[in-house]
Amino acid sequence: MTKRIIHHPVLDQIDDTDTVSFTFDNKKYKALRDEPIAAALLANGIRTLRNHEETGTPRGIYCNIGHCFECRVTVDGKQGVRACLTPIQEGMDVTSGEKLLTSVRDWRANNE
Amino acid sequence: MVICRCEEVTYEELVKTAERYSCSPRELKLRTRAGMGYCGGRTCRNAVDSIALSSTERNVSEITLKYQPPIRPISFSKLGEVVNND
Amino acid sequence: MSKVIIIGAGPAGLSAAITIAENGLNVLVIDEYMKPGGRLLGQLYEETNGNWWNGIKESQNLFDKAVAAGVEIKLKTPVSNIEKMDDIWNVYTEDEVYTTSHLLLATGAAEAPLPIPGWTLPGVMSVGAAQVMTNVHRVKPGERGVIVGVNVLSSAIAMELKLAGIDIAAITLPKMNIVTEKSGNPLDVMNSLLHVSHMAPSAFVKMGSKLMKNDFMKRMGITFFPKNGVKMWDIPIMLRKAVVEIYGESQVEGVTIATISPAGEVIPGTEEKIAADFVCIAGGLYPLAELAAVAGCPFYHIEELGGYVPLHNERMESPLEGLYVAGNITGIEGAKVAISQGVTAGLAIVNSIDGGKQEAKLNDSIKAIEETRNDAYIQFHPEVKTGKQKLLNFWNEHQKAVVS
Repeated sequence: MTKRIIHHPVLDQIDDTDTVSFTFDNKKYKALRDEPIAAALLANGIRTLRNHEETGTPRGIYCNIGHCFECRVTVDGKQGVRACLTPIQEGMDVTSGEKLLTSVRDWRANNE
Repeated sequence: MVICRCEEVTYEELVKTAERYSCSPRELKLRTRAGMGYCGGRTCRNAVDSIALSSTERNVSEITLKYQPPIRPISFSKLGEVVNND
Repeated sequence: MSKVIIIGAGPAGLSAAITIAENGLNVLVIDEYMKPGGRLLGQLYEETNGNWWNGIKESQNLFDKAVAAGVEIKLKTPVSNIEKMDDIWNVYTEDEVYTTSHLLLATGAAEAPLPIPGWTLPGVMSVGAAQVMTNVHRVKPGERGVIVGVNVLSSAIAMELKLAGIDIAAITLPKMNIVTEKSGNPLDVMNSLLHVSHMAPSAFVKMGSKLMKNDFMKRMGITFFPKNGVKMWDIPIMLRKAVVEIYGESQVEGVTIATISPAGEVIPGTEEKIAADFVCIAGGLYPLAELAAVAGCPFYHIEELGGYVPLHNERMESPLEGLYVAGNITGIEGAKVAISQGVTAGLAIVNSIDGGKQEAKLNDSIKAIEETRNDAYIQFHPEVKTGKQKLLNFWNEHQKAVVS
């Protein structure tokens, strides 16, 4: 986990020994207990948290404090969970949002 | 270039709409859906304001893009609950 | 008697909670974040006396003090709505509705964007996001970043990222358009930087404040501003370049920058690429006042305070009975001012409940806000006092209208 800032010239050293396991899109990763899902994913090199529902463009964290809802993921079956505000727990099942069918819009685009 | 990240409303679309209708930020929002997505306009409201206000005057005593409750998404099941104040 | 409720566990909310609890009243603080401290958590800078202002420690101190005073703090609890019914404020959260006669909104600020082509790519984040990731969660937002938007907040955070061992390739301007009109104009940016000269240990801004007393000198300064920028904490600050695009296949791979004229227009043919794995957008802060808005509080747009602010007086009272405001919701300023405002709001609430016994303390606390403001290390807007005066005038007009 080289992306972590363990030592810092001014701030205290962090303890990186208390880890938990979780899955993101069915792949297993390690995280530090109670860190937000967004930080755990970034520490594992994962930037893309979802794809836009209509256009499918990839999205990651943006504001990191719960305002923008860009980092919303599904956690243990619950949709719309903000990865930046949710502490990771042992065994959490996190999945990214995927592009949804926009059948009506697609039909209109082709038929109007 | 996207302005409203939630609804993917572009700069070009907003500028075109603002020029065509010389409309207020609120009307610009209603015409384009910019600021009406998941985040409630928290991210793009200032940008939408700037575009609309390039062709109209700001009303200093009224918020340009109105906030509507709930300001955080809540599940449908919670929405259905009746609050009893008795 | 119902508990006093405070929404927001940042510096303003916590200091208000401490003040109220120390006066023997019950207080509940609600915040949607997982840690107490709000934006204070991420702050880290060296003060002029050589001491470090460490937001994590400051937040912990406030939190410990609040807990010791008996304050109840509910974290991870978003508030979706507030509403007044039969003289009682209802505070709606996902699982419960809380009620109170005295409600303080200390919801802080949100970041405004500088839209740039490609800014929805993963790896592009607000500058505050990078600050929190680095200082609070201790994960690098990336190995090498570009910061778009040159202002007080972005230069302070650039230094913090550097301190954590993250490479900052450049701090530069966004390409000018209707939205980025001010942030993309080199002369406007230079002007706003002249007010933070004391923050720059390099010659860069100091040169500015000494030499650029008039518009002619400023224009000369920007015209001859080195194309590759001047360095602050070894980070190139480029006022004559702008990011025209953020590129990358599925996430950020870099930015395209171009040289711009003193008026901010891109000079064709000057485009070049800078490799980076993250980009920070620094569009500045604006008061996050959505709860005051849904409650029906009057608002005024005051540029010097960062945008629309809920109407309030020096005692942090809104015109709606039992509704108070403190911290960045009342205008963008530093954490120390927010703490002072929290004390005043707390005393105003205690004063209202115990029938006016706090008048003297309350007046002293209002003066203390003013002193904190005068001593502030960072001024987000140089004319913040003018903004406060404008608001007070609006308040007085409003009161007259109500009476007549």
